[in-house]
Amino acid sequence: MSNQALQVARSGLDAQNRRMQVIANNLANVNTTGFKRDRASFESLAYQQIIAAGTSSSAENKYATGLNLGTGVQMTGTERMNTQGSISTTGNALDLAIEGSGFFQVQMPDGRTAYTRAGNFSLSPEGTVVTGDGMPLQPQIQVPQGATSISVGADGTVSAIVAGETAPTELGKVETARFVNDAGLQPIGDNLLLETAASGTPQTGAAGLEGRGSIRSGALESSNVNVVEELVDMIETQRAYEVNSKMIQAADEMMKNANQQL
Amino acid sequence: MDRLIYTSLSAMRGAMARQQATANNLANASTPGFRGEIAEAQALWLDGPSLTDRAMASEEVVNADMKAGSITATGRDLDIALGGDSLLAVQADDGDEAYTRRGDLQLSSSGLLTTGDGRPVLGQGGPITLPPADKISIAEDGRILVVPAGGDPSQSQEVDRLKIASPAGSAIAKGLDGLFRVKGGGVLPVDPDAHVTSGQLEESNVSATKALVDMIDASRAWDTQLKLITSARDLDGASAELMRLPQ
Repeated sequence: MSNQALQVARSGLDAQNRRMQVIANNLANVNTTGFKRDRASFESLAYQQIIAAGTSSSAENKYATGLNLGTGVQMTGTERMNTQGSISTTGNALDLAIEGSGFFQVQMPDGRTAYTRAGNFSLSPEGTVVTGDGMPLQPQIQVPQGATSISVGADGTVSAIVAGETAPTELGKVETARFVNDAGLQPIGDNLLLETAASGTPQTGAAGLEGRGSIRSGALESSNVNVVEELVDMIETQRAYEVNSKMIQAADEMMKNANQQL
Repeated sequence: MDRLIYTSLSAMRGAMARQQATANNLANASTPGFRGEIAEAQALWLDGPSLTDRAMASEEVVNADMKAGSITATGRDLDIALGGDSLLAVQADDGDEAYTRRGDLQLSSSGLLTTGDGRPVLGQGGPITLPPADKISIAEDGRILVVPAGGDPSQSQEVDRLKIASPAGSAIAKGLDGLFRVKGGGVLPVDPDAHVTSGQLEESNVSATKALVDMIDASRAWDTQLKLITSARDLDGASAELMRLPQ
């Protein structure tokens, strides 16, 4: 008689261990601009049918209920919670926050487009608007040398006063992208997300239109991690881990006694 | 040798099955909407020409514990908690209508609404597909309201209504996929008093303390049967000793 209870409890330990990793990552990114917290999602594993309900237990009788034993739990995925993070004012014109849904598009060194909510942009030595890692914003916006008073409107219009002129010149427009299922985007680190088959294709356009959120210049979106919530989840995970390890201990004791006494 | 050891063996098998059911309950303590299983023993009397003096124990997972799990506020629009004992209708892998209490709804890239474990959620006429929307909300009576992409945020439109079923008066049982079905087939009627709260999620209803007590109980039952087997062995040894011819 192999002891299935041991394996079932082990699946519980594995799942809780992974959940702890998710919580640890959320807490580690509490100050990351535009970070969205992940939530671990669990599902029960298949059930093994020992006795099917309705089969004969004797000549006249049938089992009213079956004997179905569960085989444990697994973590099916991490779900990104795309709730709005709090917006803090910085006063820097190129710090952009999206109020509502949508992502900034940036070009990665390999030419692919990545999506981000982190709007801490700055100017490259050539005057291109880039992320902290130096990846250019898409479509590219070029600020001429000597331009002063750069400003970004709610619809993403970037304007500045070019040297030698008095009226502001429009330099370009920050476009944002929306996805049907933005929880399906794949995070790759550096605050970046990639399009997947699950996310759907991006619907790009000017901010503030067709459901895309508007842009707030001079502000940054903080992470939406709530430390208190994470700490409560952490305690819950720890306790769930504890009861599963108790279960392993109990199942082991049973086998130990059988081995010693029989 | 006394047949007692086989009676005890059946009880030990039962204790082990109960231990597995308890382990599964504990393992699923964080699965949204999970319903714990109740294991119960019943005696099986063996009829025969001889004296009926042995009852084999048959341990079974008789039912799921249907009491409500605790509800946590998550703030996510697509998380729903069902009120009362109503169940959410979903499509099982075999295409049948099955029921769950799991309320962490997800939207796939094609707009199909599923539960967190990937089962399509059923509406008035089959699986629900939502159009591209700026905002999706779920009303208290299960109506799904969306603000279409680019639409007026103050004008939400009803797209479909979740099928929330009432299990009152019907026998339901948990299947091998963890979903509930009507015993003997059939579908449950729509619950007229369905009550849904969005932005909240029902947790697993497994009580860790109760499960731990069940665990100790099953362990002790196992040990007791073990004692009986060793006692039977001692008795058998003693009687064999008695019968031994003097040297």
